[in-house]
Amino acid sequence: MNLERLPNEEKLGLCRKYYLIGFAFLPFLWLVNVVWFFQEAFIKPAYSEQLQIKSYVKRSALGLLVWVTVLTTWITIFQRFRAEWGEVGDYISFTIPLGTP
Amino acid sequence: MGSTCSKIHFSFFKLSVDFLSVSRNLKWGPDPHVENACLSVGCNSVEKKIYVHLNYTFPCVRLLNATHQIGCQSSLSGNVGVLHELESEENLDWVLTSGPNPPYMVILESRLFTRSIMMKLKEGSGRVAGVVVVAPNTNPPEGFSPHTACPNDNSGRSKNYDPTLAHCNATVWNPLGNGLAYEEFDFPIFSVKDDNDTRVIRQCYQDHNRRVNGSNPQFPLCAMQLRSSMSAVTNTATCKRRNDINFSLTPDRVCDELGDFNIWASSRPMNTTTKGHKEFESVVIAAARMDSRSFFFDIAPGAESTASGIVTLLAAAHALRRATQEAPPNRTILYTFFQGETFDYIGSSRMVYDMENNQFPLDLDNIHSVLEVGLHSDSKLWLHSDPVSRKNSSVKEEVEKLVNGLKSASAGLNVSVDEPDVSQPLPPSSFQRFLLARPIPGVVIGNYRSSFTNRYYESMYDNAEYLNVSYPENMTSEEQLEHFPETVKTLTEVATLVARALYVQAGGNETQLANITADPQIVNQMLYSFLVRANNSWLQQLVPTDFTNHLADRPTNFYVGVIQYFSEPTTLVQYMLANMTGSVVNVTQEDCQKKIPNILYTYMWVQGAAPPNSTEREGFCVRSTVHRSIAVSPAFELHEYTTSNYSTWTESVWKPITGRIFLVASHDLEMLTLGVGITVLLTSLVLTYVISSKADILFSSGREPTSATY
Repeated sequence: MNLERLPNEEKLGLCRKYYLIGFAFLPFLWLVNVVWFFQEAFIKPAYSEQLQIKSYVKRSALGLLVWVTVLTTWITIFQRFRAEWGEVGDYISFTIPLGTP
Repeated sequence: MGSTCSKIHFSFFKLSVDFLSVSRNLKWGPDPHVENACLSVGCNSVEKKIYVHLNYTFPCVRLLNATHQIGCQSSLSGNVGVLHELESEENLDWVLTSGPNPPYMVILESRLFTRSIMMKLKEGSGRVAGVVVVAPNTNPPEGFSPHTACPNDNSGRSKNYDPTLAHCNATVWNPLGNGLAYEEFDFPIFSVKDDNDTRVIRQCYQDHNRRVNGSNPQFPLCAMQLRSSMSAVTNTATCKRRNDINFSLTPDRVCDELGDFNIWASSRPMNTTTKGHKEFESVVIAAARMDSRSFFFDIAPGAESTASGIVTLLAAAHALRRATQEAPPNRTILYTFFQGETFDYIGSSRMVYDMENNQFPLDLDNIHSVLEVGLHSDSKLWLHSDPVSRKNSSVKEEVEKLVNGLKSASAGLNVSVDEPDVSQPLPPSSFQRFLLARPIPGVVIGNYRSSFTNRYYESMYDNAEYLNVSYPENMTSEEQLEHFPETVKTLTEVATLVARALYVQAGGNETQLANITADPQIVNQMLYSFLVRANNSWLQQLVPTDFTNHLADRPTNFYVGVIQYFSEPTTLVQYMLANMTGSVVNVTQEDCQKKIPNILYTYMWVQGAAPPNSTEREGFCVRSTVHRSIAVSPAFELHEYTTSNYSTWTESVWKPITGRIFLVASHDLEMLTLGVGITVLLTSLVLTYVISSKADILFSSGREPTSATY
């Protein structure tokens, strides 16, 4: 789909849809939203729906940032302490590397 | 340099034989690597030109118990290092600090395979990729035992000895034991035989890695890759837990329990379907152990520590067959062979546990006394007993009776028996597990007074050569079975002694003693089967047809192994014991096979010998009281993986174990090659971009579009 060819209202509808569905634990949808609509929101000359698009893109970006922070922190903690947690560490692991504690 | 390389490669190519010959000897993990598939159909010649595979390697593998892990491990893809042959301990400096091309793969002569060197290598493991130990063709005269100085210290009688007796404080049983087999190494250690493989390795080392006139060796250097990647880690509790997690995408097992079966037979048939206490039954247990180990997986010759005990007890059982049938003594003699005793008494602790929990046809109350045949191979024997249980007067009395029985049985035989100091603790033995349960009178026979005379306890050198079981070069297998080495005569005497003492101990009539004599022929055949090759004409007659393929053309491997695999000695002992104690019944093969299982007897159809003018073997049916009982530690039954009461040993699962050598280029050359590759890639990308962006100018020459020409 080429955004260029869409009327502005549909762009806004699309951006809102992506933003809302992103709440279903889909941070990648927010990432797509941010990348896809970045030009529309911040670079294109102003048009009536741009303000709303801008806000959806910003919120998507914020949500994405929260996800990235939370996941990075957890992955770091998990990788660092999995071996020390022993039993608990094994039970919350999906694959356990062979031959390492 | 290029021509030298290809010449070396060519000679390597000739020497690399079918790789799969290694794989047959080894247990693979459940996840066979793709490399195998590639090798079985024959890889392209580039692979063969680069690598020379080592054919006969014996790895050291990872074992785990309740508290820690021992043994060796490589990285997942194998450790690679530049070969360095160690000439002396001083030479270690090159490997650990000064050598310019770490990590090193260290080649050790067996005389340098000492604790001090191995510990230094272990600490400098950043510069050590692995170790290759060249096994000598003759035993080292100075002795070598990778076992601990105080074997099975934490699982035996030490628990209820007072401090002066516990933990070998009174006497060190295995003074040569350096404990190497109980250390943990995070690099692979392989053993190679001193043969073609070793010659290729040495040649490669001499040609490329030797320092000439003090200058550092020049690239390309000869390197080796050893892979023994182990799945289990930390301890038994961890690996058992990971075995049980089935959540993951690839639910691989990571470790398996050590264990197998105990073999036992009674001199009188016994109802085996009812478990627990048997009224009016009193048994004398005659015990021996069935397993041994060494530093390396799959080599456990255990000649004196294991085979001599098995052979003596089997020969004694054979000698007692007639007397126990014609003039049965009051008590029953129970011949028991315990498996996994090296690893904290797996077999005996399980039998005691089963007796306590009414899972065995007898219980501990049925046991009158125990006579255990331990390490021995000469005619001077020592009768060891337990100083703590002797404080109980009734036990003391029975022990003295047993000792006197043995002493008087030795009269007229070419053996001398003696008692060590009575305050001396009991040596490592299966009997200890019975004593842990309750004070039972018993004696352990051994050829040592207060420390093992065996200089190779639980090592790869405790072999036929050590027992002087050797045969003249040009003898056929048949002639060897008829040729008696000196040890056979000694073991026969000891077997007679044990048989007579057992008969007296069971309450038999002393007038019968003269008829109880072990047969040197049988002793020789058994010793030959265990120490030289199981695949011989004598043993072939005593086994069922479908088992013949399992008889090996090499010394028996006494390592207990994991429970999923049958240990070699267990089945051999089972068939031998059936034939030694059982009788031939005249029934057809079909009837014989139908009678299994039976509450009193087991029946087995063995293939027998072929009559002189025929090739068809004449099988027969053997009826015996031989039974198997499971030898898996009670810890696994109770799911107590951190217990200190029972053995918790497990063996890791591993990926295919391989070793290969090849030449490596210098780091600079590798980087140069990579750099050139990347430059070519980038140049081509830029060129393509330029060409495509200027396509109008480059490809349109004002002519009509090319489509028009179609």
